[in-house]
Order: sequence, then structure tokens, then C-alpha cells
Amino acid sequence: MMHKITLANRDGATYEVDHRKPLLDSLRDQGVDLPYGCKYGGCITCAAKLTDGRVNQAPQVALNNRQITDGYVILCVARPLSDCTLEIGVESHDKLYRNPFLDPLAPHELKADIATKLEKAP
Amino acid sequence: MECCGPGYASPAEAMQAPREKLLYTIAIYTGTGIQKPDYLATIDNDPDSPTYSQVISRCEVPGIGDELHHMGWNACSSCFDDASMARKYLLVPGVRSSNIHIIDCATDPRNPTLFKVIDGADIKAKTNLSAPHTIHCLGSEIIISMLGDAQGNAPGGYLHLNKDFEIVGRWENSMGNIKFGYDFWYQPRHNVMVSSEWGAPNTFMPGFDLEEVGHLKYGREIHFWDFEKKEPIKSMYLGEDGLIPLEVRFHHDPDSSHGFVGAALSANIIHWWKDQNDEWQWEKIVDVENEPHPEWPIPVPGVISVILLSMDDKYLYLCNWLHGDIRQYDISDPHNAKLTGQVWMGGLLGKAPEVNGVKVTGGPQMIQLSLDGKRLYVTTSLFSTWDNQFYPEIRTNGGCMLMVNCDTENGGMEIDPNFVVDFGKEPNGPSRCHETRYPGGDCTSDIWL
Repeated sequence: MMHKITLANRDGATYEVDHRKPLLDSLRDQGVDLPYGCKYGGCITCAAKLTDGRVNQAPQVALNNRQITDGYVILCVARPLSDCTLEIGVESHDKLYRNPFLDPLAPHELKADIATKLEKAP
Repeated sequence: MECCGPGYASPAEAMQAPREKLLYTIAIYTGTGIQKPDYLATIDNDPDSPTYSQVISRCEVPGIGDELHHMGWNACSSCFDDASMARKYLLVPGVRSSNIHIIDCATDPRNPTLFKVIDGADIKAKTNLSAPHTIHCLGSEIIISMLGDAQGNAPGGYLHLNKDFEIVGRWENSMGNIKFGYDFWYQPRHNVMVSSEWGAPNTFMPGFDLEEVGHLKYGREIHFWDFEKKEPIKSMYLGEDGLIPLEVRFHHDPDSSHGFVGAALSANIIHWWKDQNDEWQWEKIVDVENEPHPEWPIPVPGVISVILLSMDDKYLYLCNWLHGDIRQYDISDPHNAKLTGQVWMGGLLGKAPEVNGVKVTGGPQMIQLSLDGKRLYVTTSLFSTWDNQFYPEIRTNGGCMLMVNCDTENGGMEIDPNFVVDFGKEPNGPSRCHETRYPGGDCTSDIWL
């Protein structure tokens, strides 16, 4: 199945991508210049911001829950589940990096393996 | 002693070597938004040259996003009596890609060239290791601490290369109960290697979540190895005194059992030695207090990102990357460190935002000392993602290199007013410099057998 990926901060350029391939590979194959590092979902270099649509990024281990809530996805392992709109590159990293002494994480905002569940208000 | 291998017969002879006239430092674009390869920069360090304190050549690696970080020589004084060896190649790994770049620095020292790349995918396939960090040669062999397995989980292990840069396999016979890897140093006359702990690549690469320290995702132990058997025999739990123990330095004197590690987050210096019963002991000898910040809820630790010993083992230098100071301690008595010098550059406390006309973004980070102990070279970037958290302006300002003149007789330090390399002005845009080495060896390369 193919999905349409729109790059909001690249003048809305669109690309047709295979749902089985990681977005990093699909976009790079079509000439999009993207940063990346480890290529297994661990190092955050390729993070982008998803502003519309859904992806499956289950293999990623780089993002904490706050970063996920802020829309970040790890392109080297994320596969699209629908048409998506992304902001790419370090211009999209405004909320990705945080001074931990200025702005600590709450227990539910940690990485998935150590986060505590947030009690839902009744 | 007359000989023809690389390096020097002893630390005392190393101190008599000619002054370093070229410096090599790695510079990164990883994490900066500039889609260019990281590179090895060569800096003219001859005060009589018209290009003094300037980058004179750049050796780019083939890929993008490697994150060059630490590097090491193919040979050092450990093969001083081996005429077939020469200090010719720098091994320059990419922490993120696991590619190891072999750079020829001897054919034309002013313009190093790429000789070979060991593919990170090949290393992962053959050894299940990733994230290369510290490199030490060992006679004609090379061992590299690898901080993760192929999926970036701790503890990783040690990659063994032969002198032709072929993968031999895993160096260690066992990792024992070691949880994390980072730096190591060996002292063969005591049949010992000491290793320290950062965290799993999957933990530290995306950036620093302070809360993960409490969840035991970062190290707090150091490990003593039986060097010949290649297995750990004793671990020391440093606890709150030793959170994130990073750079490991033995005395250069090969007969000494004294060594030191900087605990980055606790901002302490830990000293170890072998007592009269041949038992390894440790103690804390320096404790840098956390500093309150007017706008932050959590006091700022120094974050001792590096320590280094002078070749005569008299002085220990440390950097507080977040506070912004470099300190010099007289450790003539290693149980009793005396503060003898301190300078400021950058940092979060605002003590020295500008030095030699350049805005210092970041804090003092990697340091390298001349063999005679008189010139300390300092760079300001730690690791791309951590830079981006603590010093976000480094993206547009880049890193810089400064030189500190050190008084080796009476103690004391002073920033040299005539030396500054501004990596904010590089041709492809602002880059960030990290570890420094020079052609004739330095204070963190050479080990004597």
C-alpha cells in the first residue's frame, strides 16, 4: 500500500511511499536530504515531527514519552499507517532537546520502559 | 635508550620531545542541521607560522552522521622497541555509525588522508558490538571499548583489531557482571586494566534525561580486570560519590598502581591504588560543589567530562563542562589533591562568556596536554545531543579551541591570549570540535609496558 507524505517545511513537497519501508529509506531514495545516525531507532539523529497522520514506530527506543506526546517520530524505523504530514530536520527539533536541570520530566514522561502510568482523571 | 619504534623509552623521555607544531581535532556536523560529513581538522600550532592557530586542512569521512568523538593512534610507546611499528594512523570512530576511520597522518602530517574505513555493519555482524569509544594500542594490537551491542544495549564489550586493522573479534573473554562500558586504561606491570561506565548507547545517544540516573540507566561502578586473562575480577561500587564515572587515567609511571577517574555527575575525582596487602582501594579526593542557578529548580553539577594527568604525574586537570572552569590540582601526594590553578571559559554560570574575542558556547570539555606539561588545549563540545540540550546556541556559534599555559613549577594556569580556533567560522558552517591529539604523542595516548 502507498501513502502520501507531505513535508510541511519543504514547501509542502509530497512523496508516495510504501507502507512497509521505514520513512527514512523511502524519503532518501526519493532525494530528500535527511540526517540519520544509527539506523536502528536508538540515537534520535533522524527525529522529525509528525503533525498529521499516524506511524508505527514500535522499534524506536530513543524517545521519552514527552517527546512522543510532542509528536516526534524516529524516521529510520517509523513506517506510515496513513497519509502523513511531517516537519523534518533540526528545524523541527525545537521541543526535542530540553535542559534537564531547568525542566525535569514527570514520572509518566520518561521512556516507555521506566515510565509510570498516568492516572486518568475520572 | 637507542631504539627505533614509536614513542619514547619512558615518560621522562617523552617530556623532552620537541614542541607540538600540529594539532589534530575532530569536528562534527552531526546534529547541527548541516548535512556535511564530520572531519579531522589539522591546526597549525607553530607560533612562527603565518597560519598559526588556524585550521589548515580538513579530512572528511565518507558518511554523514557518524558523530566522530574520541580517537587513538595505531601505535604508541607500548611498542617502543618494535622497529616494525610506527605512529602513523589515527583511528577515528563514529559513535553513532560504528564506522572506524583509519586516517594516515604520517605521509603528509599537515594534510592527513583517509586510508581505510572499517564498516560499522561489518563490526556489528562479526562481533555484535556498536558505539566505539576509547582506543588503546597494546603492542601491535588495538583494542576499542564498544559501548553497546549491535542494537545499542549495554554493556557492549571490546573490539580487537590487528595492526592491519582487520577485525580479530571480541578482545575480552568475559564481561562478568559489568553493566556499562566507557573508558579504560591498562597498567601491564600490575596486570590490570580499569574500566568505567557511561550508559547504554540507547540511553545516552538521544540526550540526557536526569531522571534515568535514578533508574540505574547510568553507571556508578568501576571495574578492575585481570589484564592477561581478559576478564573483570573486582568491581567497586562508588554509589552517590561516583555517578557516571568517565575518563580513566593511570599514572604514566608504569610501576605505579595509582589511578584516577572523574565521576561526571557527582563531580568528584576518585583515586584508586593497590595497598600493601595487594588489595585495590579507592577514595574520593576532589568534590566539586553543585552551584545554584537563579532560574532553575535543580542546582547545577560541575559535570566533570574529562580528567588528564601530566606526563610526570604531578598535576591532574579536570573540566567542569557545565560550570565552565578548568582546574589544576597538584597530586604529588595522590591521596591529597591541592588546587593550584583555575581558569574559566563559557559554561552556564556566566563567568567567562567571551574569551580572546570569541563567544564561548559550551564549556571546557576535552583537553589535551603537551608532553612537557606547559600547554593545555581545550575544546568546548561534549556530544551533539547533550550540546543541544545544555548549550543550544552552539548550533549557530559552533565550538572553539583555546590554549591554556600551565606553570609546571609552582602551579597556576592562564588562557593564552594569542591562540583561538573558532569553529563557528568553518567553510561549511559552524562545527564542533572534540578530542585533540598531536603527531608525536600526547598525555592520554602512551602507555609503557
